[in-house]
Amino acid sequence: MRKVSIDPITRLEGHGKIEIFLNDEGDVANAYLQIPELRGFEKFCEGRPVEEMPRIVPRICGV
Amino acid sequence: MAKPKVALYWAAACGGCDVAVLDTNEKILDIANIADIVLWPVALDFKYHHIEAMEDKAIDLCLFNGAIRNSEQEKIAKLLRNKSKVMVAFGACACFGGIPALGNLTNRAEIFQRVYVEAQSDDNSNKVLPQTLTKVSEGELELPELFDTVSTLAQVVDVEYFVPGCPPPVDIILKVVDAFAKGQLPPVGSVIGSDKTCCDECDRVKEEKKITKIYRPHEIIPDPKKCLLEQGVICCGPATRGGCGLRCVKANMPCRGCFGPPPKVADQGAALVSAIASIYQGNTEEEIAQMVEEVVDPVGTFYRFALADSMLKRKRMGPTEGERK
Repeated sequence: MRKVSIDPITRLEGHGKIEIFLNDEGDVANAYLQIPELRGFEKFCEGRPVEEMPRIVPRICGV
Repeated sequence: MAKPKVALYWAAACGGCDVAVLDTNEKILDIANIADIVLWPVALDFKYHHIEAMEDKAIDLCLFNGAIRNSEQEKIAKLLRNKSKVMVAFGACACFGGIPALGNLTNRAEIFQRVYVEAQSDDNSNKVLPQTLTKVSEGELELPELFDTVSTLAQVVDVEYFVPGCPPPVDIILKVVDAFAKGQLPPVGSVIGSDKTCCDECDRVKEEKKITKIYRPHEIIPDPKKCLLEQGVICCGPATRGGCGLRCVKANMPCRGCFGPPPKVADQGAALVSAIASIYQGNTEEEIAQMVEEVVDPVGTFYRFALADSMLKRKRMGPTEGERK
């Protein structure tokens, strides 16, 4: 099965890639969108003072 | 004559650095005039294979933002280093680790557990965690390996220049572009900012006052004309490089250090501890212990943007799997 990779996907905020699998006829058998990025705000915001959240979480997405 | 080639890339970042480049408004057209942009994921459709196909050092200038948090970011950093004559760590994350480097207070296992198992919004009863290799019926899918420890760009590849800030201010971006266009880049290793501290550049009134208490925001309304630190509000200005335009203190918010340490300071957080200790009026051990208690989150405050670049680098958590070699 042939694989077509779109890596990275562009013109949007964030990281992503798309893997498209083609069958023997050249038709799309399946396609996967993958997000190869994780920073872990959910975890590292724990323990930070609540009043600092407005200065930390805007860095989840700055676009 | 062919135009110089410029690449812009984001690693562990929020996109704010890319937006800061766009914030140059019509000057962005000047950049496009003097250079061919060969990679810029947020704005243009170039792929990794385009860069891989280039000859070494074919790119004249790479503005790399974001910290190094996973194996893909490390791979692209090395790829762009090989292909670029000049590598610039662009923004606080690439320079010092930035906000993503607060992840060095935890590790991959804890992050995966919180994000994919415990998060209230999860629908993941099988507790599936990201795998570097997943077999599906059509073939294989790959994801990068998340590292336990976030690194700065310079900890992974050689870097010529550092442009600090979260994000870098427009005037500094234009200064870099201008210097590049004129072939007048400063000595290798330069940090493009001020050689003074934020504190030196701040025009709030300082009275050499000692403090007896550290206040949280709900405990005080700070006087907008007076030094925040002398009012008992933790401000990172004394241990932060200037050149930022004092965006935070002008909004009556204390500095959080996004320009990193000033010249000759190896560890920003240690310098801040020293600055605060020097103005604290505490004589007895009890008073000093009280002050330490009043700093709610020392590491997250003093090392807000520069944990990866500090002597601490990360929280010690014992042996873990997947530590970067």
